Amino acid sequence: MTLLEVPVADTRLALDPPPARSRRGYRLLGYAALLVAAAAILVPFYWMLMSSLKSNNDVYTIPVQWLPDPVVWKNYVDIWQKSDLTTWLKNTLILSVAVTFLQVFTGSFAAYGFAKVRFPGRNVLFLAYIGTLAVPWQSYMIPQFILFSKLHLSDTLWSIIALQAFGAFGVFLMKQYYESIPDELLDAARIDGMSEYGIYRRIMLPLSVPALASLTLLTLVTTWNDYMGPLIYLRSRDLWTIQIGLKTFVNTYNAEYALIMTGSVLSVLPIAIIFLLGQRYFVEGIASTGLKG
Amino acid sequence: MKRSIAAVLGATAAISLVLTGCSSGDDEGSSSGPQTLTLAGWSFATTPEFKTLADGFHATHPDVTVELKEYDAANYDTQMVADLAAGKAPDIYAQKTLKNFYTYQNGKQLLDVSDVASKLGDKVGGISSYQADGKTWAIPYRQDSWVLYYNKTLFQKAGVSLPDGSWTWDDYATASKELTAKLKAAGSKAVGDYEHIWQSTVQGFALAQTSGATIESGDFSYLKPYYDRALDLQNAGAQVKFGDATTNSLTYQAQFGKQQAAMMVMGSWYIATLLKQQGTGDAEKFEWGFAPAPQQTKATTGTSATPVTFGDPTGLGINPKIGKNKEATAKAFLAYAAGADGAKALAGIGITPADTEAVKDTFFQLPGVPQDDLSKFAFTKHDTKPENPVSKYTAALQNILSDLHTAVMSGSKGVDAAITEAQNRAKTEVLNK
Amino acid sequence: MTSLPLARRRRGRQVLRNTVVGWSFLLPNFVGFAVLTLVPVGLLFYYAFTSWNVFGGAEWTGLENFRQMLHDASFRTALRNTVYYTVFHIPLTLGAALALALLLNQRLRGVAFFRTVAFFPYITSIVALAQVWNMLFSPGYGPINAVLRGIGIDNPPGWTTSADWSMPAVIVVGTWREMGYYMLLFLAGLQTIPGQLYEAAKVDGANAWQRFRAVTLPGLRPTTFFVVVLLTIGSFKVFDVILVMTNGGPGQSTLVLSQYIYQKGFVENQFGYASAVSIALFAICFVITIVQFVINRRGTD
Repeated sequence: MTLLEVPVADTRLALDPPPARSRRGYRLLGYAALLVAAAAILVPFYWMLMSSLKSNNDVYTIPVQWLPDPVVWKNYVDIWQKSDLTTWLKNTLILSVAVTFLQVFTGSFAAYGFAKVRFPGRNVLFLAYIGTLAVPWQSYMIPQFILFSKLHLSDTLWSIIALQAFGAFGVFLMKQYYESIPDELLDAARIDGMSEYGIYRRIMLPLSVPALASLTLLTLVTTWNDYMGPLIYLRSRDLWTIQIGLKTFVNTYNAEYALIMTGSVLSVLPIAIIFLLGQRYFVEGIASTGLKG
Repeated sequence: MKRSIAAVLGATAAISLVLTGCSSGDDEGSSSGPQTLTLAGWSFATTPEFKTLADGFHATHPDVTVELKEYDAANYDTQMVADLAAGKAPDIYAQKTLKNFYTYQNGKQLLDVSDVASKLGDKVGGISSYQADGKTWAIPYRQDSWVLYYNKTLFQKAGVSLPDGSWTWDDYATASKELTAKLKAAGSKAVGDYEHIWQSTVQGFALAQTSGATIESGDFSYLKPYYDRALDLQNAGAQVKFGDATTNSLTYQAQFGKQQAAMMVMGSWYIATLLKQQGTGDAEKFEWGFAPAPQQTKATTGTSATPVTFGDPTGLGINPKIGKNKEATAKAFLAYAAGADGAKALAGIGITPADTEAVKDTFFQLPGVPQDDLSKFAFTKHDTKPENPVSKYTAALQNILSDLHTAVMSGSKGVDAAITEAQNRAKTEVLNK
Repeated sequence: MTSLPLARRRRGRQVLRNTVVGWSFLLPNFVGFAVLTLVPVGLLFYYAFTSWNVFGGAEWTGLENFRQMLHDASFRTALRNTVYYTVFHIPLTLGAALALALLLNQRLRGVAFFRTVAFFPYITSIVALAQVWNMLFSPGYGPINAVLRGIGIDNPPGWTTSADWSMPAVIVVGTWREMGYYMLLFLAGLQTIPGQLYEAAKVDGANAWQRFRAVTLPGLRPTTFFVVVLLTIGSFKVFDVILVMTNGGPGQSTLVLSQYIYQKGFVENQFGYASAVSIALFAICFVITIVQFVINRRGTD
């Protein structure tokens, strides 16, 4: 909790402003602490980056080599030549976008039904959603795979879309957010003659931008980094995603660790960039300001 | 009336023809026409053996194309179980680990290939591992055995005499400690030996070399001398500690290939890897050789005896859902892979086939392979026992033994206590369930 | 007197209308969910009472699997370890995620960068993450023990190589990995709290801690509930962090239920028994979730 007390241009939680000079001192101290923490958090990524510049047998050593010696830039050339990285990235991107779109759309749509429309059986149904979250996937993986095969979905990109797009997570997340939006706002719109669909589209969606942003980012990352789903469902080489593809550098007794790290670095970067761009939607929504009027 | 019946019958016949034509697809041809077999393997970029076999078979059977289906090396069995359960598995699939063979055989997912086995005779090592209920269910094409690799350069630097095939494990431990001390004195950072973190490095040998020892007995006391020795070597600093090896994800390729250790017991697959890595520069250039694995007693040492070691075969099995007309072709493929032709093709890429005597010349012609007599002896002469003798209980018992391994090697449990606990678990959770 | 049935009829019509509208919202998601998830999960409940071996054979064995579970010492070990993980992982992650969200909800220079950094453990490959943490924890060569020795602790713990310390080590890594994930959910939740409430509290002379208790916590209630439910379920189902950090070892010291299920099913081909263990795991999660729902509802009413 002490972190909260660091008065870094804070409008909400900080103590009343201390004298200007000490305030600047505090602020610098706060930034220094933040930078140290950030550096510490990035250590595993740093190691990944450095390992991608090593030769294979230098990746795991005692003691750890924190700097590559010699620096092997070749890995970044090799990985494009030795593997179908372009195909893997393309498939991963297609899947991530499609799954995210469907999850956000159907999830937020269903969440409105759960949060703002009262009808019998609603709570039982919602519990069924939550219940499936509590079952470990590896235990119903095989029955699901057989079902998907009967539907001719397995070994197509559709299988992953179907697998990931209709989960309970998005529904739950959006429902909780909608519940924090006051009913009075909706009642006013209903009196004005707006339909429920209109309310969803014109009021709820714009008001829930931060929640939509977090759902989008989380779904995107989950799909991007998913390993078990594609492992079970995507067998043809031309359907592989990046996480599956990188595993081809491992065989029974050997593994190309340096190339795996190279691929992992290349796989993390797009996500980091998307996150960097997407995080700006975490601003105080119109939801709270809407109450003003 | 009659005409309409005839018309209906005709139409039905036509439809059924179309339907059968559709459903069987390229199965239609008899064994003389062109056929396609599908074969499951893993990590093709780094595991060339499947392509070698497929191409080799196509060369002798031009009518048959073997289409490869790629699986994940680490999760091969998970994927295969899913595919078999959904009825989508390839015609021929490799038995990647012997431990899981029982699952497929007991689950009726393997075709009886006893006729192929009887034609091959007893030259093919490891075939008995795939026998159950009086029948043979898969044919090994590859039989790795564990040997002792040693770094001649480091031995010479330390002034310790090279392995000569006469070693017991006690000789090995003495040599390792001597190497460690003398290498240190010579200013080298290398230690005597590297023992990889797998349970097989201790348990595989203990099971193979102790007479009367079986996993299924639930009596694991045979492990004790092997663990005592491994712990002693760790504590003497003659090998990297288990905990340091696991937490630093050490690879045996780097430990031996980068001259961190002068000796290492490892499977024969490492011969090809080391050759390749010395070529690419991943491994340093040094003189090396391999010797028979150290023995439990003097009775099996020396080049006039047959050293006892372990290693699981890798076999090929046929999916029972394969079309009747493709069965013969698939069996021909299995016979080819395990036979002399397949063995030569595999030896040409550095793989230890099931029949080693037949390929000795091919194998030792590969550039960089050690040429000394002891290496040749170690390659061809060995009594290789399976690490995972096939039984209903093997997979479950190996899980218990794996827990024992990590507990003992990390020092979190004493050898006796861990063995007692494992025996109790075996009794209550597996054998008398 | 006549107005009563009329009102009831009107209410009945309203319920019907709401039901139709409600279902129309659910349908696009529900169809996919029901067919693709609910059906296979339902099958699992059947398989739990059979000796299913995955290749078709599923002989009805009644309660046999559950009876076996009662006498299964490894199941008890896995359950105990799972509870151990959960009890520590939930509060730690909740605290860390909330603190991060509060900190990174401020107007800071470079806040985008810091938010991205906080999310990094979640997007970095879990294998790389586990390997680095294992190196840090390495008993002989790791920097953590070097520091501990430096401050005078002669026998620092063996972390992932010791039966007593492997679970704490895994909990630390689990928390580290997931804090950014839940931070994101809290960040979204924080945006629903109107700024005026803070202004008003300030005017009333509330200090930072009082404002946090009186404004932030109540405002975050729906998000906190969501995060706690997800964290509970996620902790009980913990799998991949364990798999890459310790693989359940040393011995059985970090064996957890999900891993046990995988082992029984895919390694030992006892899918019937594995299904029964999943049902047990499900039942535990579900009961706790319902309790959480009830508490949450009581709190909001």
